[in-house]
Amino acid sequence: MSEQANAAAVTFRREATKGCLNLRGDPADAGFQQGVAAALGLNPPLPPCTFHQAGDATLYWLAPDEWLAMMPDGVQSEREEELRRVLHGHFSVVDVSGAYQLFRLAGPDAQKVLQKSSPYDFHPHPFAPGSCVQTVFGKTTALVARHPSDVFDLLVRTSYADYVHRWVAAAAEEYGLATEAASHP
Amino acid sequence: MLQIHCPYCQGLRSEEEFAYGGEAHIRRPADPGALTDQAWGEYLHFRKNPRGLHRELWQHAAGCRRYFNVLRDTVSYEILKVYPIGEKP
Repeated sequence: MSEQANAAAVTFRREATKGCLNLRGDPADAGFQQGVAAALGLNPPLPPCTFHQAGDATLYWLAPDEWLAMMPDGVQSEREEELRRVLHGHFSVVDVSGAYQLFRLAGPDAQKVLQKSSPYDFHPHPFAPGSCVQTVFGKTTALVARHPSDVFDLLVRTSYADYVHRWVAAAAEEYGLATEAASHP
Repeated sequence: MLQIHCPYCQGLRSEEEFAYGGEAHIRRPADPGALTDQAWGEYLHFRKNPRGLHRELWQHAAGCRRYFNVLRDTVSYEILKVYPIGEKP
């Protein structure tokens, strides 16, 4: 197959810095769920390894009592204040914006790149759109989330962002890779 | 490589994602000061090393980062049961 035919079978983009809040609370507490919905505009996803997206915010399931809220950089402080205003009892909100770097991996061969990088089975069943998984990625770890049409979020620790960028560039080379510059708002 | 079912993420995951936590169900003595040196030493350092069934802790280190209990056969490596922290089979 010529390189031309392979062109852009995988696209990879380093996204602009995001605002991130680590959120912990009791999922059985209706007040907690309503408070999060009021402050962020979406309910915390309760099924394991799923995420919700609405407006400018995404809420990833991390553990039975832990979620990661992602939003445009700059609004996290006011969302954090809003969460603290509406939530009561035993909960935790921590601004972890500097800790994560978001990449967007897409294309018909994007799933193969993930399969080369991790022991997790990224087949659409069970890893359907709307699923997110925290797993081993190369020599580090990542949160991978699947959107419809072979589009994946790749959320890694900032200190490993350069490593993951190079890893994906090498892993995707055989399929034809198009890297895009960071999208700065 | 083991395939371990995480009771919180609810799926079979590769052993690579987990960290071993040693023997399970070790209760910290209520009053360590009242123990003899030998009893305290045994609590701190001495672990079962059975040939056969073993109850052990595993942590889903690359996943939800939660600890849970596993009942594993140390001869065949077969995992017979996985159950959350706080449960006693």
